[in-house]
Amino acid sequence: MPGGDFHPWFFVIVAAWVLVCGLGVVLFRKIMYSAVSMVFCFLGVAFAYALLNAPLVAIIQILVYVGAISIVIIFAIMLTEVQHGGYDLFFNRQTAIAAVVALVGAAVLAFVALSSDIGQIGDKSLTPGLRQLSRLIFDRYVFPFELVSLVLVAAMIGAIVLATREKERP
Amino acid sequence: MEGTGYMKIAVALIPLLPLLGFIVTLLFGKRWGKHAHIFPVAMVTISAVLSVYGFEWAFRHQEETFVWNAFTWIAAGQFTVPWGFQVDTLTGVMLLVVGVIGMLVHYYSIGYMHGDEGYYRFFAYLNLFMFAMFVLILADSYLLLFLGWEGVGLCSYLLISFWFRKKSASQAGKKAFIVNRVGDFGFTLAMFAIFVATGTLQFTGVFEAAEKGEIAPSLMTWICLLLFTGAIGKSAQFPLHVWLPDAMEGPTPVSALIHAATMVNAGVYMVARSYPLFIQSDTAMTVVMVVGIFTSIFAAYIAITQNDIKKVIAYSTISSLGLMFVALGAGAWVAGIFYLFAHGFFKGLMFLCSGSVIHAMGGEQDMRKMGGLRKKIPITFWTMLIGALSMVGVIPFAGFWAKDEILGATFIDGYYLVWAVGLLIVLLTGIYVFRLIFLTFFGENRSDAEVQAHIHESPPVMTVPLILLSIPALGLGLLVGVPPESGWLHGFLEPVFFDLEHEPFTWIGEGGALMGVSLVLALVGIAIAWWLYMRQTDVPGRIAERVPWAYKASLNKVYMDDIYAVVPVGATLGFAGWLWTFVDAKIIDGAVNGIALLWGWIGDRLRPIQTGRVQNYALYVFGGMIALVVVLAWVWGS
Amino acid sequence: MNALYWWLLLSFLLFCIGAFGVLARRNVILVVMSLEIMLNAVNLALVATANFRAGAKGAGTLFALFIIVLAAAEVTVGLAIVIANYRNRRTVQTDTFDELKG
Repeated sequence: MPGGDFHPWFFVIVAAWVLVCGLGVVLFRKIMYSAVSMVFCFLGVAFAYALLNAPLVAIIQILVYVGAISIVIIFAIMLTEVQHGGYDLFFNRQTAIAAVVALVGAAVLAFVALSSDIGQIGDKSLTPGLRQLSRLIFDRYVFPFELVSLVLVAAMIGAIVLATREKERP
Repeated sequence: MEGTGYMKIAVALIPLLPLLGFIVTLLFGKRWGKHAHIFPVAMVTISAVLSVYGFEWAFRHQEETFVWNAFTWIAAGQFTVPWGFQVDTLTGVMLLVVGVIGMLVHYYSIGYMHGDEGYYRFFAYLNLFMFAMFVLILADSYLLLFLGWEGVGLCSYLLISFWFRKKSASQAGKKAFIVNRVGDFGFTLAMFAIFVATGTLQFTGVFEAAEKGEIAPSLMTWICLLLFTGAIGKSAQFPLHVWLPDAMEGPTPVSALIHAATMVNAGVYMVARSYPLFIQSDTAMTVVMVVGIFTSIFAAYIAITQNDIKKVIAYSTISSLGLMFVALGAGAWVAGIFYLFAHGFFKGLMFLCSGSVIHAMGGEQDMRKMGGLRKKIPITFWTMLIGALSMVGVIPFAGFWAKDEILGATFIDGYYLVWAVGLLIVLLTGIYVFRLIFLTFFGENRSDAEVQAHIHESPPVMTVPLILLSIPALGLGLLVGVPPESGWLHGFLEPVFFDLEHEPFTWIGEGGALMGVSLVLALVGIAIAWWLYMRQTDVPGRIAERVPWAYKASLNKVYMDDIYAVVPVGATLGFAGWLWTFVDAKIIDGAVNGIALLWGWIGDRLRPIQTGRVQNYALYVFGGMIALVVVLAWVWGS
Repeated sequence: MNALYWWLLLSFLLFCIGAFGVLARRNVILVVMSLEIMLNAVNLALVATANFRAGAKGAGTLFALFIIVLAAAEVTVGLAIVIANYRNRRTVQTDTFDELKG
């Protein structure tokens, strides 16, 4: 069990939280419940980052995911029609297969991880400090960093173009 | 020896001028309309004058061979063929025959083809033929000879099917071309064999190697037989003779020039040119003689019953060519070339005369509808009579001396059976040639009144060539062939046929007796023809009734065309049909369509997978990824 | 069973939950949400690995940041498409979008 500078129970709580909320997202019939569940899931992941000695990632997770993305998604939900009905309406016909595939996938991934050399790694935390991280961003990875800003601009323009109602053509 | 300046120019221009005539006439002839003949005829005339000069050069330099390598034609590694010309006495004789007869036929064509819609085309083709024929006889290598050989074959095809709107003419052209392919195949194989054996295709190199004995005797026999196969095709010998009678579908000047005087002699010329090879193979010589004598008697037998005036002469040409091969096979090389020389003139004359007759009769070729033309077209009659007497072999006409030399050679060399058959041929020749003369020029005219009213002598442009040709047909033998066995031509050709021995001819003795026998038989043949077709005109019909099988066999050309229609042609067609209906339609098309259907079927089966729903695809991707991980883990794990 | 393994196990489970949502849900918006869950799972794996392994020199953490930013862009464009599509068809049901079926 993970530990070190925190009690293993923290991990158990965070893991349970994240998994339960994640399951909530994919299983709730009402989409608003899913959305709320998703927000909590994101929060849980932020706690996980915090436990992993990555406070910057945790903060950005809260800012971007819990703050921005969740709001955008909730807006999208409100802009579309809310549906009521049985499970048929919410799950498609390949649900059973999808469930099997997902479970098998998890098992395979776990098996692969288990059979790799991960086990030989110590539990000592190595996450870089803020200073080291900023040096990485603005020195070695400055080009991808700038590219990302370009991608954001492009996405912004794209979203505006897509969402703008087309004028009636004469 | 290396040629001198004037000779070089002459030898270069002899083939080039007709080629120029061909190109220019083909391009501009249509615009010239009825004047289209001027340029090509001028080209051929100059060429003919130059070829007479070439003959004269050979006459002055009898012991020398003019050799001129104009440029390297083919260079491929060790193998080089120059575009080389050579003139020796044999080439000189051929130049004279081809140049003079070619020129006269061109003049004759001006009148004969007058008003034809393909007037310019005709002269263009004739010029191309002259080019190819000159290349053939001037060539100093087998390959260049083959170029001319194929060129004259092409022109033969073009000119036989000159009136291509006529189904029979285009069929005859194709037949000539395809039958000649069979022979050419042999010629090509012979060239391969020669190249393998000697490493060169030039006459000088090949013959030197042959004289040094570098070619194994068995290979030599094969080379000679394969070369002779080519000659069989080109010179219409049995069993490839079937194209020549059909070639009469072409205009008559073409029959005279190509299918009597020059091109068909190419086979004889080629065998004579390969003399140093043939003398080393007795087997090949015997084959040449046997094929020649058989073809000769065979064609004479068919000629007797033919009713088409041109077909009779065509079969007589085959018969004469057979005799030339008998001469070559019997070792009487000079006699063979002498006969070729004389035959070129008198057979060309016969054809041109028959063309004049056809012209007078308004296109009628059936002798049964002719008759009594002697008074109406006298020039044609007299010249044709000269040709006929020369052909039959009556003293002192050219054909007599040549034919007699061949028969004498067979007797002296001990081929008595060949000699006897030869005498039979002389008899038959007398009968069928004078049957033609009597049916055409004597008795009552049997055509319609309307045709009779229009019978007229041909214009001078046609009759003058006839008169000019009748001179050598009459006097050539006296000039170059007397006394037999040692006439002027013998001395002239001796440098080419270097190894021949001949005894002096005896007028009183064996030679004179043989001569007398053949002369008597020729006269008997004429007398029989006179008796059968002038006096007792019902006898031929009675003979036909008495031996109907012999008559029908002769009339139907011994069924050769029918046999060919069944064995090679029918089998080929059957095989081709099988290839088409079974191999192509079933197997190949089946495979192609089957592959298409297979993919169609697979596509139909795979279509449901393409649901158009993204989540389906995502499932495939995810499942596929897991499968991949499992496989990789399994592979790397083990 | 060291710490990294447990964190990775958590990440895998979360990833497969998200994958199940992507594969099985009918609402496009929910598919987008499940996609985000999957991205979070990946991020978690990256951060955890970066925390315990020295090899990447902290690049894993940095990549997590990049992924968060790109995910934001992706969600923006994706939801814009969903909205535009909804405007044309009046539906967000995934299995109605099958014009490209074979």
